[in-house]
Amino acid sequence: MMRIVIALTLLLCLLVAASLAFGDVALTWRELYHVATGTDAPGPQDAMIVFDLRLPRTLLALLVGVALATAGTISLAIMRNPLAEPGVLGINSGAAAAAMAVIVLMRDPPVVLLQVAGFSGAAAMALAVYILAWRGGTSSLRIILIGIGLSSLATAGTTFLSAFGDIGDVQRAMIWLAGSVYDANMIKVRLLALWLVIPVTLAFLASRELDVIRFGDSSARSLGQPVDRVRGGMIVLVTVLSGAAVAVSGLIGFVGLVAPHIARRLVGTASHARIFPVAALVGACLVVAADILGRIVLPPVQLPAGIVTGLVGAPFFAYLLWGRRNGRG
Amino acid sequence: MTGRRPLRRTGAEGRRWLAFTALLCLLVVVAMSAVALGTITMPFSTIAAAIFQFDGSRGHLLVTTIRLPRVIAALLAGSALAVSGAIMQAVTNNPLASPGLLGINAGAAFAVVCLMTVFGSSTGDIYIWFALLGAAAAAIVVYALGSLGTTGQSPLGLVLAGAIVATFLTSLTTAVLIFDQSTLDAVRLWTAGSVTGRTMAQARTVAPYILTGLVAALFLGRNLTALSLGADASRSLGQNPVVWRGVSIAIIILLAGGAVALAGPIGFVGLVVPHIVRMSVGIDYRWVIPFSALGGALLVVTADIAGRLVFGSQSFPVGVTIALVGAPFFLYLARTRLKAEA
Repeated sequence: MMRIVIALTLLLCLLVAASLAFGDVALTWRELYHVATGTDAPGPQDAMIVFDLRLPRTLLALLVGVALATAGTISLAIMRNPLAEPGVLGINSGAAAAAMAVIVLMRDPPVVLLQVAGFSGAAAMALAVYILAWRGGTSSLRIILIGIGLSSLATAGTTFLSAFGDIGDVQRAMIWLAGSVYDANMIKVRLLALWLVIPVTLAFLASRELDVIRFGDSSARSLGQPVDRVRGGMIVLVTVLSGAAVAVSGLIGFVGLVAPHIARRLVGTASHARIFPVAALVGACLVVAADILGRIVLPPVQLPAGIVTGLVGAPFFAYLLWGRRNGRG
Repeated sequence: MTGRRPLRRTGAEGRRWLAFTALLCLLVVVAMSAVALGTITMPFSTIAAAIFQFDGSRGHLLVTTIRLPRVIAALLAGSALAVSGAIMQAVTNNPLASPGLLGINAGAAFAVVCLMTVFGSSTGDIYIWFALLGAAAAAIVVYALGSLGTTGQSPLGLVLAGAIVATFLTSLTTAVLIFDQSTLDAVRLWTAGSVTGRTMAQARTVAPYILTGLVAALFLGRNLTALSLGADASRSLGQNPVVWRGVSIAIIILLAGGAVALAGPIGFVGLVVPHIVRMSVGIDYRWVIPFSALGGALLVVTADIAGRLVFGSQSFPVGVTIALVGAPFFLYLARTRLKAEA
């Protein structure tokens, strides 16, 4: 466990450094060191590139990764379904529909409005799913099914707008929906960091509850757990976490699904106190790495990070699942 | 998996036959009205005449070249998607599974987008073959990935492999579409799911695959019920789950691949109709399969009529109206039929 955490932390540091160094203006490691320590009088524009452009972007990617991975870990545990990512609660489809509506129906919406719309769409959908699934208690199957139903309604709205909206707007909406961190600034980073502190801490503190609920409602209940209250609270956490991530970065998919699975593979499924930190680190690494790749693969074009997580994360995940198993067996 | 309603009562069998017949009649009526209704209403006699004694008049042409192919496409796609969704959910033991999880929608969409990016949007009917091939290739990759590993085939492996391949292909497709506005413009109606402007030739191209798949699925019911109870249960019933899973997936490829090629990547039908059916008739797949076929066809044809009449547009994507028609019903069932257990 410790070894894994240390290795992942080192990897994350390396990725952060790489993210500060690489880009349209590539810095050498030595230059980066000088800029970071403020020694040897670096060129003012190097400092600007690193501190004003790349640092916020990198930190934002890191935070988004942590948020998505934590939300994914919670969803996986409370839904007891290997496909359960935060999107199952309708969060992604709600945010997508709201953002698509804002982009297509308004002329040049301000970015803030887009973010507010994304978050409220996500939160509204999660709330609606939970309320509709409540019937003297909840069950994970009913939440999943209601989530499917409501998501398909929201997706129908999105599809309608994308089929008949102005093609330029539709394309812009697709870019936003693909998920990227390119318009980051320090204010955004600080806000997101503050926003995430409480839910991430709460999730970590609730590890024991997740360990128990994973075994099924009746087992958990017989162990004295107030299952419905725990699940409700956890859904609130998932919504707060991934809603915020969606608002600042669009739909960076796959991280919420993959990070918990990778973490489970690395440290086992027994204890969420061990899964959470590993999943968070994996999520952060994934998004930061995806952002770097998106910047340097096809310059000057910047591929949205959400696309790169799919392109890179998917084969990597496949390797983890099958490559290692075969290697050992 | 869902909706355990004890249907052991005497007469349950009879009631199912009755319901099945009623649904079949309803489907025939709805399909006939789908041909009859539109900007020009056709009397049934004209429709019958157009089919059996075609005389080349304007009305007959309208029926045989526009309305009939469209309805046939909707029927084929709807039943194929619903049945393949039912099989998929049985095979993976997962209520979130749909044919799309096998990479079929993503593969077809990727193939079509590649075709249109390279050769432009005026490629005629070739795109159907590309969709079919893309769907089959993606599904085979998913199946191969899912069968690797020392634990052999497991629903978990299959489901994760599907999620991986689908995500990968969707990301590629999005990457292409973000930078290529003309292709986005050309495929966005197709990706929404649509049966507009389908021709008899197109329907005839995919009909053999879908019909073969449907017939095979009907014979598979008993095995699917065992599979849906999990690998252990199916093995203790003397079944080889690996073999039957492979057969099931081959059938899904025929069905869903054909449907996607014909009507675009419609997600809702394959995901939701099987749930509706299981909540209504129970978990015996000998019944789930035929009811799914009828239900899916009924849903897509109804949605197409609704799109044409209510929204007054010939090209309103049926993928949208399907969700508008089906989702409220599904939500109602999920709320009322699922007990607090599970």
